[in-house]
Amino acid sequence: MLTLLLFALIIAALAIALTYKIQNENQLRSQVSSLKKSLSDMDEQAKLIVRTDIELNKIEEELDKKISGLYALQSLSRMISMTLEEDQIFRRIQPEHLKELGFEKAFGFLWDDKGKRFVLRFSIGYPGEAIKSIESFFNENKERCMDFITGDKTLSSISASNNLITLQQLNEIFKINSFIICPLAPQQNNRGLIFVGTQNLETTVTEGDEELIKILSTQLAQALENARLFEKTWNAQQELEKKVTERTRELTLALEEVKKISDNKTNFVSSVSHELRTPLTSIKGYAAILLTGKLGDLPPEVRQRLEKINRHSDELVHMVNELLDISRIESGKVTMRTEVCDLKEITAKVEDLLSEQLKERKLSFVVEIGPEANAVLADRTQLERVFINLVGNAMKFTPPDGSITIKSRKIDKMAGISVVDTGCGIAEEAHDSIFDEFYRVDNAINQEVKGTGLGLALVKHIVEAQGGRIWVESSPGSGANFSFTLPIAS
Amino acid sequence: MFSQLSLWLTLFFKVFIIQPMRVGIGVSTELDHLKAVKEAVEEAIIQIKPDNIDFALLFTTEEFSHSLVLQTTADLIGRIPLLGSSSSIIISQNGPLKHGLILVLFKLNEGSYFNAACVKDITINNTLSSGEELGGKLLYGCKNVHRDLGVIFSNTNTGDYSSLVTGIQEKLGRGFPLVGASLPKRIDHAENHLYSGSEILNNAVCGVLWGGKLNFSLGIEHGWQPLGKPRYATRTQVDTVNEIDGLPAVNLYKEYFGKETLELNRELKRISVFYPLGIAVSGNKEYLLRSVISIKNDGSLLFRGEVPEGSMVRLMISSKDSCLAAAAKAAKTALDNARGKKIKFALVLNSLSRYALLGRQAAQEIRIVRETLGSDVPFAGIYTSAEQAPLNSANYNLGKTYFHNNSIAILTITE
Repeated sequence: MLTLLLFALIIAALAIALTYKIQNENQLRSQVSSLKKSLSDMDEQAKLIVRTDIELNKIEEELDKKISGLYALQSLSRMISMTLEEDQIFRRIQPEHLKELGFEKAFGFLWDDKGKRFVLRFSIGYPGEAIKSIESFFNENKERCMDFITGDKTLSSISASNNLITLQQLNEIFKINSFIICPLAPQQNNRGLIFVGTQNLETTVTEGDEELIKILSTQLAQALENARLFEKTWNAQQELEKKVTERTRELTLALEEVKKISDNKTNFVSSVSHELRTPLTSIKGYAAILLTGKLGDLPPEVRQRLEKINRHSDELVHMVNELLDISRIESGKVTMRTEVCDLKEITAKVEDLLSEQLKERKLSFVVEIGPEANAVLADRTQLERVFINLVGNAMKFTPPDGSITIKSRKIDKMAGISVVDTGCGIAEEAHDSIFDEFYRVDNAINQEVKGTGLGLALVKHIVEAQGGRIWVESSPGSGANFSFTLPIAS
Repeated sequence: MFSQLSLWLTLFFKVFIIQPMRVGIGVSTELDHLKAVKEAVEEAIIQIKPDNIDFALLFTTEEFSHSLVLQTTADLIGRIPLLGSSSSIIISQNGPLKHGLILVLFKLNEGSYFNAACVKDITINNTLSSGEELGGKLLYGCKNVHRDLGVIFSNTNTGDYSSLVTGIQEKLGRGFPLVGASLPKRIDHAENHLYSGSEILNNAVCGVLWGGKLNFSLGIEHGWQPLGKPRYATRTQVDTVNEIDGLPAVNLYKEYFGKETLELNRELKRISVFYPLGIAVSGNKEYLLRSVISIKNDGSLLFRGEVPEGSMVRLMISSKDSCLAAAAKAAKTALDNARGKKIKFALVLNSLSRYALLGRQAAQEIRIVRETLGSDVPFAGIYTSAEQAPLNSANYNLGKTYFHNNSIAILTITE
């Protein structure tokens, strides 16, 4: 009985243990199943992560490639744009630039219009024989290549169709696995193409690569155009410089000729004046003797004629003297005796000399000389002639009750002296010619009043011989202002 | 009398003063090989002082005329032991160089030893024996001396790199530390060159065995993290994974990326760089990375490096920040392991996949290495397709050498 009870207890304990174990096992199974589910869920999440990651990596890779390409392109563009020699432009493309762009082979051809063929301008990564055979390929297929260039469309491993030539054929010709060919066609005379390629089987050309190479080709085309324009401008400049040199030489010769003629004229005027003065002196002398009546009384008509001869002789002597003075100054035969002069003294002397005529013509004479004119460097006698001429002219053209003013001011370390009148004035077109010999302004007064047309020419020669310059400011009806400069004594 | 005194003085200094190790680095970005070598040699010589140079490392980018570079280098520095390689990108202290040449000249102290050797014509059938041959050659020059570490460079395309490393370790010791680089393929898919003396080698492995009074420290990191549930490589053949969880291996990638094989093939370069397979290493929380090289017709995946059958594998993912943090960690570990000793030179072997992932921030990674090691620490290196190094940086000399992908390995030399 006890044994049976014990057996029953053991059975019960075993049953409880078994139940507990089964419960535990079930719990474990449930945990394992839950873990498996978690792992599967994690695995699914991992798949999502991997798929997103690979897409992100692709984008990042493309972005990296583009940034590197842009850096390479920027550096290349900078170098190309700084080059103005056509031959140097293609030489700027170096293997490291290509590497940055993802390629290791490249070449460029330009169309030679004279030779009617494609000429190789640069090549990278091709041995001599290989590039020669590529050059032959392009020249054997000139028309197709020209069609491609004028079509202005990029051809690459991804965009090429197999209509004209298969990709495999292109790969064999160019010894690459991926490539881009881009036309250079900015103008009819700049046609050509550039090619970049890689042997790397793992490199695939993208649209981004095509865009970069297109930019490069545009830059190259622009640089070529700039180089050609520069060459054209350079040649034009050279031509211009040549012409300027030639023209300068001609002008120098002409100037020498003019100088020679001028010297001859001066010598001629001088000689003629001398020759004229001797008979004139005799004419004037004999006329004067006759007018004294020592050789007998003269009938009034004869006296009148003789007086005319005498007067005209004086005028002629005056003219000859002025001509002689001008020619002497021009030929440098007159030595200016430069000394320190006070303009106040000189103008006072002139006023004294001309006071009768001023009074007679009812003209006021004003002198406004400042301290700058206290000590000018000039030949006193010649300077007096300048003032006599200028004031004399002013008197001639200023109507009664007018005024003549002599002023001074400082102009660029020089003393500026002006003779200002309230006369009829001078038209602007006459300003340049007024100092020419024998030039007379065409106006009513000049038609009435006689003059040689040498006074202002003489004045100009005297002023310039003393290191100054002379000019006129005037307009009809508002008087004239003759100004000249003289050096100030230090 | 005077000459006798100077002779004594010379002997005295020779006996009692041990010259410290000196390293000179010359960098040039000249396009012309002659100018480039001349510039690099002149710069390196200035730092090392004109002296007998013991050993040289030469790294160049691939477009140089390599035979002329070697010839010119030999003309300028003499026929000294030289190892090196070309690569798509090389590493200078100023950042990655897509075109350039770096020459590192070593003048070792009197208690240090090295032996350089090469093995050519490696095939899938002789990978193990080639490794053994190299191990034997390296050992031949360093018998009866304390050996510290071996540095190897290879450009073999057999794929069975593990056998190569195993072969070398068969001779040098099963746990003997090796740090190395597999060269990436060139842009035209030809192999990059290995340099050994004045020879240019392809399908070869070169190494240098260091011993004596030199100390090394290592830092190696990748910065990738596992993603998704763990799986098992149920059927593999060396570097080919036929099945994962009993299904064609490609299914893993099809499932995760939601793409068919054709589309996966199109994006294989990106997938290879960004999403390698991680192999769990027993007793270590770090995963060994394997990049996919190709998808076979039967759905098998070819990886860069061996994937042991039965190993737990996971898809791995990274980000630029994580990559940069890993570079900083690798440099910090190398620096810490140097235990305060002055680092004479650091060799940086960095995966080309990292360069692709980092894109425009690739230079920042090198800047981080420079800043972490200290701006006075000279370093140089290359971008690689795979790296070889022990898994555990801290006690690297106790562990076996593994084959890594997508990693940055920094090896420092101190005295």
